[in-house]
Parts: sequence; C-alpha cells; structure tokens
Amino acid sequence: MRVWLLTAGLLWSAAAWAAGPAPGAGHSAKELLDKVDDLYRGASSHGKMSMRVVTEHWTREMKLEFWSQGKDQSLVRILAPLKEKGTATLKSGNSIWNYLPKVNRVIKVPSSMMGGSWMGSHFTNDDLVKESRMAEDFDFAVTFEGAREGLEIIEITCTPRPEAAVVWGKVVVVLDRASELPLRSDYHDEDLELARTMTFGEVRLLGGRRVPSLMRVVPADKPREATEVRYDEVEFDLDLDAGLFSLRSLQR
Amino acid sequence: MGRIVAGLRIAWRNLWRNGRRTGITAAAIALNTAVLIVSFGLMHGIVVDMVRQITTISVGDAQVHAQGFRAARSFYKAIPPAALDALLAQATTAGVLAAPRSFGFGLVSSGPKSAGAMFWGVDPVAERRAFGLPGRIARGQFLADRVEGRSYLGRPVREIVLGRKLAKTLHAEVGSELVAVVQAGDGSLGNELFTVTGVLAGVGEEIDRAGALVHRQDFDELFVAQGRVHELALSSRGALPAEEVAARLGPISAGLELQTWGELLPAIADMVRMFDGVMWLFALVFLLAAGLGVTNTMLMATYERMREFGVLKALGASPWRILGGVTGEALLLGMLASLAGSCLGLAGTWYLTRVGIDLSGGGDLVVQGMAMQSVWRASLTPADVILPVLAMWLACVLAALYPAAKAARIDPVRAMTHV
Repeated sequence: MRVWLLTAGLLWSAAAWAAGPAPGAGHSAKELLDKVDDLYRGASSHGKMSMRVVTEHWTREMKLEFWSQGKDQSLVRILAPLKEKGTATLKSGNSIWNYLPKVNRVIKVPSSMMGGSWMGSHFTNDDLVKESRMAEDFDFAVTFEGAREGLEIIEITCTPRPEAAVVWGKVVVVLDRASELPLRSDYHDEDLELARTMTFGEVRLLGGRRVPSLMRVVPADKPREATEVRYDEVEFDLDLDAGLFSLRSLQR
Repeated sequence: MGRIVAGLRIAWRNLWRNGRRTGITAAAIALNTAVLIVSFGLMHGIVVDMVRQITTISVGDAQVHAQGFRAARSFYKAIPPAALDALLAQATTAGVLAAPRSFGFGLVSSGPKSAGAMFWGVDPVAERRAFGLPGRIARGQFLADRVEGRSYLGRPVREIVLGRKLAKTLHAEVGSELVAVVQAGDGSLGNELFTVTGVLAGVGEEIDRAGALVHRQDFDELFVAQGRVHELALSSRGALPAEEVAARLGPISAGLELQTWGELLPAIADMVRMFDGVMWLFALVFLLAAGLGVTNTMLMATYERMREFGVLKALGASPWRILGGVTGEALLLGMLASLAGSCLGLAGTWYLTRVGIDLSGGGDLVVQGMAMQSVWRASLTPADVILPVLAMWLACVLAALYPAAKAARIDPVRAMTHV
C-alpha cells in the first residue's frame, strides 16, 4: 500500500518512514530504508491533503484529493481553489496526463517538460513518476547515531550506485531513533551540492499508521521558498475501481 | 604642372614601347581590380543582408529590458509601466518605431502532441508597423489587430501564430486547435484554447523552434500577466544605424538596459567584423599578385633601358628624377588598368546586385540561428570601389620601387657601356 504522497513526488524521497513501533529495535540501515520504502507500498490508498506553495512572487494553497493503486497508478484532483477545481493529474507508468476542466481537454506532459514544476510547486513532474528504492538504488551506511540538537537520531547517508538511474548525487536521511520516523532528508545534486531539503513533522495517526503528516520541501537555491504538503485524511487498502486510473475517468 | 604633363607623356610613350607586355600586365591589374570590387560587393552584401534581417524582422536595432531579464528570462523582471510609457513617448519623439513584447514559457498541446513553447505576447499593430515578422508568414495569416470579432470558420477563437519547427513538432496546421498550459504569474495553472491562425516562415532558430505568438490581451489572461512587458524592441526599419537608434532613446532609466543588436547578438556582430578582416586578407593576395606582375614588367622595362638611364644621369638627371619617372610609369599603368578593371567590376557587381546567387538549394539559409535571404546579392558602396582601386595604385607604386631604385642608382659610365 502506498500513499499518494509518494506519487506526489515524495516517493523518490523514500524518506525513512518507519511506522511506529519497535522503538530502539536497532534495525540495520537496510532494514530502516526498506521499512521506509515498504511502509506505504501496497494495494491502494485514498485521501485528502493540502498543499501550500510559497515562492518569491506568490503564495497559494490548494486542497487535493488523491487515489493510488499499486506502484504505477495514481490520480490527483484539485478541490480548491475554485479557479482550478477539477484539474486532475493522472500518472500511469512513466507518463503523466493533465486534465484541464476550463478547456475540457486532456494533455500529456511531454518528456521535455518532465523537469518542470508540478502545479507550481517545488516538485517536478519527474518527481511524480520516478521510482526509486533506496536500498536498491543506493549504497548506504549509518554515518551518525546519537544525540544531535537535543534529539536522538540516526543518520543514513546514501550514495547512488553507478548503474542506478537517480538524479541525486547523495541523499542524507535523518531519522528519530526511538520512533524510526524520518526527521529530514537532504538531497544533493550530482556535484554533491545541496539541492533541496525535506523536513517532516506533525506525527499523527493516518489510516491506522503513525506517520508524519506534514512535509516541507525547501529548494537550496531559494531558501525563502517552500512547498508544504499536509495530509488531512488517508485510508489504505480500499477497493478502487480499476477504471479510475484511465483517461476517461480523468475527465470525469 | 608642365613637368607633370611632360612626365606623363614620357611615361605613356615608355609604356607602349613594348605594347604586348604592358597590355598583359594591364589586363592582370584590371582583372584583379575587378575581382576585388566584386568580392567587396558580395561580402558587403552578406553583411548588409544580415544586418537588415536582424534589424527589420524581429530583433530590431536595439531592445530595452529590465536589468537581469535576459539572463534568466524571468517572468517577474518586467519593464515598469511608467518607464515603458516614457520609453514609448521617447521613441515617438525620436522617430523610432517600438514594439512592446511579453514572454512566458509554457506547454502547447495539439491532440496527442505537446511541446514546450515560448509565448510572445505581442501588439500586432505595433509589430506590423515596426517589424517584418508579421509579413514572414508561410501559411495562414498573422494575428488580427484586435481581439474583438476574431473568428475561424464562423466560430470565435483566440489566435496563435506558431514558429515553423514548433508547428511541425505539434503536427499543427492553420485551423488546428491548441491547448496552452502555463504557470501563471500568480502561481495558478493558466490554460486556454487557441486556434492556429498562421505558421511563420523560417525567421531565426529561437522563434522557429519555440515561438508561439499571441495577442497581448490573450497573453495577459493566460499568464495573469497584469500587463507586464518584458521587451521593447526598437526599429528604424533600416533607416538609422543601431547605435544612432540607441543614442536617440537614451539615457535609459535605472533598472533597465538598452542594447543594440550587436550587443544582443555578439556572435553575429563578431561575424560582421570578421568579414572585414577576411576581406582585406583576401585583398592582400590579389594586390600581391598584381604587384608582382608590375614588378616583373618594370624590371624588364628598366633593364632594357639601362643605357638611357645612364645618358639621363650623365646629363645631370638626379636619382630621384629617375625614381619618379619609373614609379610614375607604374602608377600610370595601374591607374589606366584599374580604371578598366573598375568598369568590369562595377558591371559584375551590378549584375550580382540585381540577380544575385541563389544559395537556397531548396532549403532555408540560417546563419548563427538567424534566417538569411536565400539569394546572395551584392551591395556596393563607393568605398567598395575606391578602396580596392587606391590599394591597387599603392601596390603598383610599391611594386615599381625596386626596379626604379635599381635604375636610379645606376653608374652612368657603366650603364652607357652596357650592352
């Protein structure tokens, strides 16, 4: 089961998401990363979330509803603001389509635009489709364990394997040692310069799991900009109509 | 004066002592002069064409942008409205035409095909007045002047004109419906339906590949642009040099930058400068060839006349007088021959100005991303004739110096006994 947020681009992050229990169980780095990756992988999910994007020039808030099925299929629909209500994004495999209710047309995002921003956020279209499994695509090691800034943490540093098709040069994942929930992830580009930072917070019960419900992405080159995603409600493992992830349903 | 006339008469007589030899050298000089004039004309033609294409089609003589806009093409770096009004007023006073443009990046989609595009929000009236772009339409027509009353096959439409390659990528034709999706200025997702009203001919790489031209008002709605203008393109329609256009607009207010096309397109400006250098290198070869012919002729002519020079010196002629006599002969030869060569060169250039050389080979001609006229025409200024001719005269005089010096330095006694 896999939450939409993965499809929303946070998937690549595969940011460590240990669900709740086994505090201090002393899992290996691989186990921790796998747990994170597997936590939301599953049959299906459905929920609502808010996305707040702050840029130098504007700030906007959106309400979104999402559905996901398996690894490859997801659908996101904008509920608010009114101007964009009904606008939807369908991800199927490596392709993304957008439905625009104003003109009543579906358009496929071309490969040249996959690096572009998704709905004006700090996530790219690529973020939505990139599948990356930390323990498979990266070499990793626990690089710090203990107290830092008053928190007991575990720091895992991941470097991509030569053959892995990932855009990052290094990812540093910091987890809370007791809960094994992620606190932050630092994404470094291929020159090992910090590209963006994702922080996690507001741990609460969502769909029966204790997970951080707030994620905040800050691009390193624009520290005053940010995209915040907050989960309002999530349910897992529900029966979704197979036709939900089709171009026809996109226009509904 | 009388001495000069007498000198010329002597020189003239001397030249025709061996008419065939002089004739051949004269023909060589004439031909070299003609080739130089034609080449200068052709090179000049390229430069003139290139500059005309740049200054009259879409770039203009100069452009004004907000500082920093050109580097990142940031949508938010616009020319402030007050500054824009001042610039437009200044342009009118200065007799320079101006076209305001807005730019925004987005996605255009036609059926299953989509591509990234650079949207141009243009004022069709201003573009038509100031630039040739509205006339460079391969199919269909340019944007209507007003947004009211536009229709295609009876239904109201928003019009869009596409760059040649972009239309090809989208498989779009006149009448095709396009969806535009952009990140609007307020962060929202701007989207709109457009109908292709025209497809541009090859204009320049940038426009060909990504240009999507829409009316300013449509641009404003699509991008929630609030009237932002990113570029003011200035044109004198070829009447003034770019620097003059820039000077008439200046001084520019703080936060804005005014650049001539040469500053905007340094690669092409360099090319234009390079042409001059290449031309003179080319000229040097021809001048050398002509000069060597003159040296040869004058050397033979002086050897034949060693006894005469000896007599002249014995009668009291100074070495300078002999030097002057011989170089005068060469100069006369050069002048007469280059006169004939100029006539020939002018005729050739005139022909190439009218008819030109077709370079298209069926396709468009693009240099440094700028479309060129596919017919290469010469262009002639007085300098293109006068400079090669003067250079030829100089070459003749220099070429005669060695034989002349030999004649001038001769010992009269030895010369007179010379067999």
